[in-house]
Amino acid sequence: MSAVSDIHTLLDETVRRERGWVISSLVSKFGPGKVDLAEDVAQDAILKALSTWPYKGIPKNPRAWLRRVAGNAAIDRVRRSAREFGVDEDWNFGSVEDDIITPSLSDPELDLMVLCCDPVLEPRDQLFLALKTVCGFTASETAALFFMTEDALSQRLSRAKRHLKPRSGDIARFPTRFALKERRPALLKIIYLMFAWGYMPRRGALLFREDVCREALRLSAALLDHAEGNAATHHALQALLLFQMARLPARLSDTGTLVTLEHQDRSVWDTSMIQDAFQHLERSRSGDVLTRYHLEAGITSMHAQAASWEDTNFGAIARFYELLAKEVPSLAVEVNWATNLLLQGDFNRAQERLNQVSTMPGADHFPGYHLARAKLARSQGDLGAARASLEAARACKTSDPVAAYIDQDMGLSDA
Amino acid sequence: MAKFVLMLPHAPDRYTNLGEAEFMELMKDYIGWVEEMSANGKFVGGEKLMDEGGKIVTNTSGSIEVHDGPFAEVAEILGGYMVIEAADYDEAVEIARSHPHMKHNETIIVRQTDASAD
Repeated sequence: MSAVSDIHTLLDETVRRERGWVISSLVSKFGPGKVDLAEDVAQDAILKALSTWPYKGIPKNPRAWLRRVAGNAAIDRVRRSAREFGVDEDWNFGSVEDDIITPSLSDPELDLMVLCCDPVLEPRDQLFLALKTVCGFTASETAALFFMTEDALSQRLSRAKRHLKPRSGDIARFPTRFALKERRPALLKIIYLMFAWGYMPRRGALLFREDVCREALRLSAALLDHAEGNAATHHALQALLLFQMARLPARLSDTGTLVTLEHQDRSVWDTSMIQDAFQHLERSRSGDVLTRYHLEAGITSMHAQAASWEDTNFGAIARFYELLAKEVPSLAVEVNWATNLLLQGDFNRAQERLNQVSTMPGADHFPGYHLARAKLARSQGDLGAARASLEAARACKTSDPVAAYIDQDMGLSDA
Repeated sequence: MAKFVLMLPHAPDRYTNLGEAEFMELMKDYIGWVEEMSANGKFVGGEKLMDEGGKIVTNTSGSIEVHDGPFAEVAEILGGYMVIEAADYDEAVEIARSHPHMKHNETIIVRQTDASAD
């Protein structure tokens, strides 16, 4: 522990990771009706940590410290409200714990994630709740991820928690295997989003948050251990995460700038992770389904098996994009597809796609769109238009290393 | 080496209206500093004082009176104190200068402990 900036990163990571863990472990102790309580005391424990650690230093085991402080506060509060309702003060909390924990996935975070996917909640609310409670995203981060205001988000969150309340005390708190299967698509989506956000935060000093990516990968692997029957879709997601994770360190230059795939040092890629990814990709073919995870894993696999940028099978990638655009007609997919067409020299179709994108909501605020425009203009020799697009990209909200990359592209960094 | 106490006062409402993110940014500086001082072997210990509560016991009029905190009317309240090791006041003051408290607040009181009775 030397550099102060290391401590800053360590604290950010600790707070994010342990918030989710503490909430999860408290919910598994006190039951799903107590998500609010768990969130409150976890929050208080974090604030207590931030105000006392300046005088004590970081404890040897921050997780145990936070869990103890939050756990004591939770017991205090439950006792207090038990007294208010006239329940015997000597109520034995040990037995509560034994009662509530029914066979679970023996991973508090995974348990809470499954709980958040309760079908009484709307799919979007399942996501919000899981990202906020399990993944440790703050309200402002979660709101930013969905282009919402914090107020709107917190209203939806409190409604969601109200819906979960009556489920408390239910002996079958932990869903049956059938229910778990039913919730799996939502679980995969949460993991996917968590990873995506760690891979490319839309703001801040970091190009990626490795701890968030690793945690998403861990949760995915843990859930995969509980998969029954055909888990082809989950294998596809696992392959996708591993392919992306393997490239993570190569995406950042020594000077803190984004390095695009074209210029990455492929020797830095984690080959054992890539091999692992290919095995999951193989197993993802066992089903008769073709999901976005299959297609996205397919695209990343094409890059992973190319010895160099020039050797990449862009034709095959284009076919994946075509299918993906039908499956998930999103901004990012359309823009990536257009960029891929550009790489193949198919300027007309690239232009067509980008014109299509320009009508989609949010395109103006998506830096990738402007960067693709710049690339197209440049290949057509229109340097003025290319510059205008780069400036539009620079005006979008991005992380600092992406901004540095755009600056570099504009030649501003040399000026 | 001598021991010095750094007392860290702050305005009563300094932290009351901060959002978590802002508070976190401030405290990261503080925690970074204490970790660095500990690594250098300069940090001996410290205590954060509770924000709420507090009593003043006085005997000004011949009988003992007890007054409750908080002391909103005062300009600054003591947030906590730390004990550090330094060769002399010059070094202790240098250390105090480097404290993030000087960036985020206004005052540090530096006092040497009297070790002659040790």
